[in-house]
Amino acid sequence: MGRIAFVEDFINYRQLILDETEENKPCLVISAGTCGQASGANDIMRISKRYILENNLHDQISLRITGCLGFCEMEPFILVEPNNTIYPKTKMEDVPGIIDASIAGRTLEEKICQEDGNNRGYCSLEEIPFFKNQRRTLLARNQKLDPIRILHYLRAGGYAAFEKVISNPDPDWIVSEITRSGLRGRGGAGFPTGKKWKLARETGNGFTRKFVVCNADEGDPGAYMDRSLLEGNPHSIIEGMIIAGIAIGASQGYVYVRNEYPLTIKHMLIALRQARDLGILGKGILGTNIDFDIEIIKGAGAFVCGEETALIRSIEGRIAQPVQRPPYPVEKGVWGCPTCINNAETLANVPVIISMGADEYAKVGTPNNRGTKIFSLVGKIRNTGLVEVPLGITIREVVYGIGGGPQDNKKVKAVQTGGPSGGCIPESMFDLPIDYESLAQAGSIMGSGGMIVMDETTCMVDIARYYTNFLQGESCGKCSTCREGIQRMNEILTNIAEGRGQLEDLALLEELGKVVREASLCGLGQTAPNPVLSTLRYFKDEYISHIVEKKCPAGVCKALIMYTIDADKCTGCGLCRKKCSQGAIEGEPKKPHSIAQDTCVTCGMCYELCTFNAVLKTNREG
Amino acid sequence: MTEIPSLVESLVLRHGSHLIAILEDIQEHHSYLPEDTLKQVAHRLEMPLRDVYGVATFYKSFRLTPRGEHLVSVCVGTACHVRGAQAIVAELASQLGIKPGETTCDKAFSLETVNCLGACAVGPVVVIDGKYFSKVKATNVKQILDDVSSGTDKTAIQEDKRVIPVQVNCPRCNHSFMDPNHPIDGHPSIRVTISFGPKHGWHRLSSLYGSYNFESEHHRPLGVVAHYFCPHCHTELIGVSECPECGTTMVPMIVRGGGIAQVCPRRGCRGHMLDV
Repeated sequence: MGRIAFVEDFINYRQLILDETEENKPCLVISAGTCGQASGANDIMRISKRYILENNLHDQISLRITGCLGFCEMEPFILVEPNNTIYPKTKMEDVPGIIDASIAGRTLEEKICQEDGNNRGYCSLEEIPFFKNQRRTLLARNQKLDPIRILHYLRAGGYAAFEKVISNPDPDWIVSEITRSGLRGRGGAGFPTGKKWKLARETGNGFTRKFVVCNADEGDPGAYMDRSLLEGNPHSIIEGMIIAGIAIGASQGYVYVRNEYPLTIKHMLIALRQARDLGILGKGILGTNIDFDIEIIKGAGAFVCGEETALIRSIEGRIAQPVQRPPYPVEKGVWGCPTCINNAETLANVPVIISMGADEYAKVGTPNNRGTKIFSLVGKIRNTGLVEVPLGITIREVVYGIGGGPQDNKKVKAVQTGGPSGGCIPESMFDLPIDYESLAQAGSIMGSGGMIVMDETTCMVDIARYYTNFLQGESCGKCSTCREGIQRMNEILTNIAEGRGQLEDLALLEELGKVVREASLCGLGQTAPNPVLSTLRYFKDEYISHIVEKKCPAGVCKALIMYTIDADKCTGCGLCRKKCSQGAIEGEPKKPHSIAQDTCVTCGMCYELCTFNAVLKTNREG
Repeated sequence: MTEIPSLVESLVLRHGSHLIAILEDIQEHHSYLPEDTLKQVAHRLEMPLRDVYGVATFYKSFRLTPRGEHLVSVCVGTACHVRGAQAIVAELASQLGIKPGETTCDKAFSLETVNCLGACAVGPVVVIDGKYFSKVKATNVKQILDDVSSGTDKTAIQEDKRVIPVQVNCPRCNHSFMDPNHPIDGHPSIRVTISFGPKHGWHRLSSLYGSYNFESEHHRPLGVVAHYFCPHCHTELIGVSECPECGTTMVPMIVRGGGIAQVCPRRGCRGHMLDV
């Protein structure tokens, strides 16, 4: 397909694709985003292709490779359309059987997702609780397309919103639709997107150069929603950015993506190339006088670049130190020009809103919190993965109804939301609705969508220490309070974790936290105390246990625990002795072994290895 | 050291004054940022060296010392942390005898921690030489390191079910391209004719999908794109898709069994597609 020169031709072309009859054969869908590939999806792909080729089956079954579908715990899996049957944790040897059964219209009962407790399988995706209780407005589309084929995106209805806008470019209408939809920034702060676009539109005069930036830095550890959207459906972000560009009057867009996402960068580059070749990006789009093009800018490993002004500095090739706001980026951003920075998930919502209409979009969610949000539900939970839910759903529904509850019959203790800027919410508060205001009142924030589940084996002091350690390394260093304050908090938490804490430390942490929050320039410093303050608020007993009793109730803090061998259970197999990297375990074959405490570094390897449960983990004191 | 000035020059041509992009490419080329090169960059971009040095030391992904042959990256994001990533780091440090940020004396391995790779559901995650290992336990670290030392991709081609031998025909005249008289990788090779510049001659590819072995009548420098022709009907083989790696229009062949295989005509590029 050559470059399309006119809007009319694009409309016809798109209609032609939509009118194509669907093939009447089953389709094997293999999810091969980053986690899929990390779990072996490439092998499943190869074997599938081989089997189809060798047996001449291409008339009877088709194959589609997609990005992430969110069911990460079950990777690698095969999904068979049209029934949406899922075969989780597929092995290479299962593939031929699955293909044969799918062609024959059968299901391999023993290999599909099994219902707990009953001897029944879930025949389709829609029945599985993990999916049933979600509302997958954005994620469901990933199933329908191979991210490196623009035709798939078009066939799935993509670029319909773009067509609507380019046929009759009306920036005021676009801005009002986005405003009426109630869309709020999905990057964490939740600023109303329509308001931001309106401000960006009104800045400058008709000749001012303006920029649209997609913030795909996604620095929160534990969050990967944007990765799955950018990898699995890059055209949806491109479409959102073009519409943003038309709305605010920008002719250049940047996608700032973290360099730790190589597959995302690759797919975005391919998608951009395809969009340019089709004629929907570049100068004079489809014969109009609208110019818009997009460039990828890679990050270089700095969490602070998630902050708007730091991101702008990074695009300019400078050290990413945030600056004072106002002026806000919409007034003065990249190279001093008005810049509208939006999170990737926010931009992915734009074509949805323009296509279905603001009123329809606003039917989902709760007042002031409209639409869906994707969360990465990870940590100590049975069904880890990406979940998309309407805002306003309770934490309990997500953790238990979708996540399936804790692993290994442990007890869930808390969820951590908002990454290093957020806080921990204890189990007792799980009936809280997930919305911007409720989470903030509870001492956390919505954040970009990381939702980390913690159980009784997670130490909250260790979590606070983990985050301050992380933030200390990521602080740009400009503000003394952030630079010195977080470091001091980390030192105090380390002392507590290693059994050197004092009760006065708790008041000092609170005071430090307050100062860091109030006197730091940017969001990193201002929210850095959140993990510490929220764990102090809800889990003070754990801190006191570390300080007064020198005990780590969760059995995590290395300095406070020790490993010993139960002589009654030890069979003298010698496995731990052989694997111990410190040579701290002694014993003769077939006789009970023992651990030399002076040499032991409490790495926990023996505890993990022992198949007789003979290695005991206890607190050093008492 | 005349190579360095032309590298910087070509990068400035490609990236303009985007300093971070230039530094990233220099690091890809040298595996780190040599001091001399940083000075060249500062000079070429007319920036104070301290600003270039500032950027090189501010961002975590830049290295100022040479890297080992194998880069071991351990994710220490929150989700991996609660699943025991610290124990993985400790075990790797113990096995390799180095701390994160260091390189082994024999320059075989470098160890680093990364803040989040975005594969949180399958953590703890370790990436070595671009290959992802998921749900890693401290107990399998040694095996992983041994595999990497001996080459992760070395599998016996004959037994590996993931290796697909294909038979291909010309999309125009349907004549087979297979050449059983000149096997590559133990299978009949795929024979086509290619031309680039003034050179014109035979070119044989391995018919094993996933193998990049080939033989060619003429030596072609890396990066040069050739025109590919059917040796029977002499039509030029021009595809409709672009190479996912470099964007060049690909060379199509019909696969017996149904489907199209496409290869990239750029020497050294591994882009390919197999649609069934």
